[in-house]
Amino acid sequence: MLVVAAGAVSLGAGWVSGPAAIGVLSLMLVAVLGIVWTAFVGGLETRRALAPYGLLKPGILWLCLFFLAPLWSMLEMSLSAKKSRFDFSPSFSWHWGNYATALTDFGPQFGRSFFYAAAATVLTLLIGYPLAYVIAFRGGKFKSVLLGLVAVPFFTSYLIRTLAWQNLLADEGPIVGLINKLGVEQVFEWLHIMDNGRLMNTPAAVIGGLTYNFLPFMILPIFVSLEKIDARLVDAAMDLYSTATGAFRKVVLPMSLPGVFAGSLLVFIPAAGDFVNAQFLGSPQTTMIGNSIQDQFLRQLNYPVATAMSFVLMSVITVSVLVYAKFMGTEELM
Amino acid sequence: MENNNNPSSRGARYSRREFLIRSGLVGAGALSLPAILAACGGSSGSSSGGGAKELYFENWPGYIDTETVKAFETATGIKMKYTEAYNDNNEYFAKVQPMLSKGQKIAPDIVAPTFWMADRWIQLGWAQKLDKAAIPNAKNLRDDLLAPSWDPKNEYQLPWQTGIAGIAYNKKATGKDLKSVEDLFDPAFKGKVGMLTEMRDTLGLVLMGMGKKLSDIKTYDDAVEAFDKIEKAKTDGQIRAFTGNDYMDDLNTGNFAVCVAWSGDVMQIAKDNPDVHFVVPEEGGTSWYDTMMWVAGSENSDSVSSWMNYIYDPVNAARITAFTGYFSPVKGVREELVKMGGEAAALADNPLVFPDADSVSRLQGWGSLAEAEEAKFDERFASITGA
Amino acid sequence: MTGALSTRQRNGRRFINAVAVAAMLYLFAPIAMIVLFSFNNPKGKFNIVWRGFTLKNWAHPFASPELTDALMVSLKVAVISTACATMLGTMIALSLSRYKFKGSGVVNLFLVLPLTSPEIVLGSSLATLFIARGTSFGYLTVIIAHIMFQVSFVAVTLRARIRGFDWTLEQAAMDLGATPQRAFWKVTFPLILPGILAAALLSFALSIDDFIITFFNAGSLVTFPLQIFGASRVAIPPQINVLATMILMGSISLMVIGFVVGARRQRKAMGPVTSGK
Repeated sequence: MLVVAAGAVSLGAGWVSGPAAIGVLSLMLVAVLGIVWTAFVGGLETRRALAPYGLLKPGILWLCLFFLAPLWSMLEMSLSAKKSRFDFSPSFSWHWGNYATALTDFGPQFGRSFFYAAAATVLTLLIGYPLAYVIAFRGGKFKSVLLGLVAVPFFTSYLIRTLAWQNLLADEGPIVGLINKLGVEQVFEWLHIMDNGRLMNTPAAVIGGLTYNFLPFMILPIFVSLEKIDARLVDAAMDLYSTATGAFRKVVLPMSLPGVFAGSLLVFIPAAGDFVNAQFLGSPQTTMIGNSIQDQFLRQLNYPVATAMSFVLMSVITVSVLVYAKFMGTEELM
Repeated sequence: MENNNNPSSRGARYSRREFLIRSGLVGAGALSLPAILAACGGSSGSSSGGGAKELYFENWPGYIDTETVKAFETATGIKMKYTEAYNDNNEYFAKVQPMLSKGQKIAPDIVAPTFWMADRWIQLGWAQKLDKAAIPNAKNLRDDLLAPSWDPKNEYQLPWQTGIAGIAYNKKATGKDLKSVEDLFDPAFKGKVGMLTEMRDTLGLVLMGMGKKLSDIKTYDDAVEAFDKIEKAKTDGQIRAFTGNDYMDDLNTGNFAVCVAWSGDVMQIAKDNPDVHFVVPEEGGTSWYDTMMWVAGSENSDSVSSWMNYIYDPVNAARITAFTGYFSPVKGVREELVKMGGEAAALADNPLVFPDADSVSRLQGWGSLAEAEEAKFDERFASITGA
Repeated sequence: MTGALSTRQRNGRRFINAVAVAAMLYLFAPIAMIVLFSFNNPKGKFNIVWRGFTLKNWAHPFASPELTDALMVSLKVAVISTACATMLGTMIALSLSRYKFKGSGVVNLFLVLPLTSPEIVLGSSLATLFIARGTSFGYLTVIIAHIMFQVSFVAVTLRARIRGFDWTLEQAAMDLGATPQRAFWKVTFPLILPGILAAALLSFALSIDDFIITFFNAGSLVTFPLQIFGASRVAIPPQINVLATMILMGSISLMVIGFVVGARRQRKAMGPVTSGK
């Protein structure tokens, strides 16, 4: 299994080529045939012991080839240097300068990404938890219908939804109109949601877009964990603690934490790497790291710096996920 | 300049051989995937079959009417594919470079880079010489568009449409008529100003606003003040967004009071919204054009020539102009529009489509920038637009 | 619930219900906008300002051939990639939940990694690989990319679904003389099938709507989201709204059918799945 995986990665990443590649492939082949052979000659016990590996192999291979190997390519590229402006295949040269550029020139974008993503995570939690709670405990026989309703908006394209927010938030749009009619624009200005009488192209619009687009990723896991809670348990808790809040705090909340944990990750991670919301709803002052990576990679052709930024983004996220997991005390991810 | 073309590279052939060996070894299992990958890298798309003539034009979005392609097909019997995936010069360049820089083919036969990008394509050897003898209608082209310094004999490119970058404003939001580049920096419009991500148009306007002549701009140092001015406007929150064509939405809805804009687009919006106006600022506007270029590796020479010849016929050019509202590169379009009558005839007197002599006199074009200088321009501009 | 509720509790309930209703409104506000503007009658190319009601966009939902082509491309990609990913993902999920074996912890972690990496990282790294290996971008690269994130997704969601699965059922079947294969296909598979279908459906939706990863790996292939992105820079035809509304209604009717069928089956079987009140 390990041999096969390592082989896949090394082939994918291009460590080996030519005759060596054939060698690696033969090795992988032998490993695979080995498993099949042992399963074939071995008895039921052996077969059973090998079954999980057999089931895992194709999928894991795929991930090795197209997830791990690309990460390696990316690492390699992030340490490469372009020889000239239109050098389309930068060569590996331990060029750490890309990381310096990524962190100095694009520091603000990193900061904004994490801030916006964190804000969106908190907001989705505040909006999503009550909704999941109501559906799970008060949905009755309409539970699945309600849950379906939550999912329905997300069957329209992500981009179309975000574009629809452009219409909603426009200066002459319905929401600004409503705020002005109610005469509460000062409140919104004070909250820094509005800027100079506008909602569009502000940090708030970007955070709002992120919140909206990733909301179901918060609602669904929370719902799943809430649904597992036996209502009788809540009743028992109500008897014990006598208040609903007490029952909620002592029973429901702790049991729903895995859902909250999973939801937060499912919101924070894509939000931190998103560039669509910042592009459609933001301004030059609200660009996120995703915009920069996209721009450097797909417009400026600066693969080394773009991949360096990707790598930093991934590392920061991985570390924060681990810290968060520790903090939440959740051993199982999801 | 680095010209890295080694067609039918050794690597490509090698990987195909490798592919055979590998697939021979492992059969059609999941294991041959890397080999398939490698093989796919080697072989390029083999779309052009023999027999019927074909043509594939990849153009900017919203840049042609609905009839011309069909009419061309009927007239010539050539099967034409027309797509609108050319969204952005730099982005398209980045999209095709993995193939073209290795000497592989890309799908389209004709693409439509803007003049400065066309210059780059020619330098990199990504364009083929046109068969000018087969394009007699090229004689109908406006003289001012021919023989740029970077393609003095028009061997590699001919214009598709031309236009003007100037200032557009939504009168409902501004409350008055505008006429100066300085209006972009008017504090009264704070947060309601848009600029284009197309550097030459945005920067060009600001430079002219500072009294510079675009033809004098050769180095980054010549333009640094204008960059600083744009950057300051951005950090002050004066500029709401840097956009591509999507500024049209913002202008239409009043999110932008004033912005840098392209003439044809504004003509389109004005149909829907009479509050939107376009002006060539008194300090000057930039003139630009998008080209048609025959992509290296394409074999459909005849179809390419037929197409170019077809659309340089004033009758066909007029039909396109009636839709796009851009300043046609073809002479005689105005007369044809009048003949078409109705809405099209009205365009003949539209100053956006046919700018008056006074506006034309204020137009300036960019010269060619040396590669190293252009790199500095691009880098600074990218850092300002904030992406 | 036990006993009578105090006023405070009742207000608390009301408050939470109100939040839930508001959240629902929030979820549907842009959707309402999309549906509404599918009936707009714009004068120029721009479907932004309300210009009056018309049915003509609905009469010609496929008037924009590029959009329709792009939708077909997306469907093709999604069908192929979902089929592959569901197979691979289900096998992984089965292996992880059915068996205890060495290295399962590592596999677990490994599976979650693609889900805990931002799309932009997945997209850009895969594109780097393809560029380094000289692979042309197109259908192949997009499908590869989609399967990659879908495999993890299917495996993880399905594993969560079948975590509490009672494997002794299968054992029982085998004790009664069924072969392992038969036991699996006759006992286990029908029971986990809804889970598999749900995971497949969700990953199908992920594929058809994926923008960021596809954006990096599509080359000149234009999927539905990429087409919308392109259009968003110029002029969005009302047909986009029409198609979006159609997809929306399609998914709603699918759900309604699912609900009705589910309810009927539940009534028939009265299985142990009825959740407590």
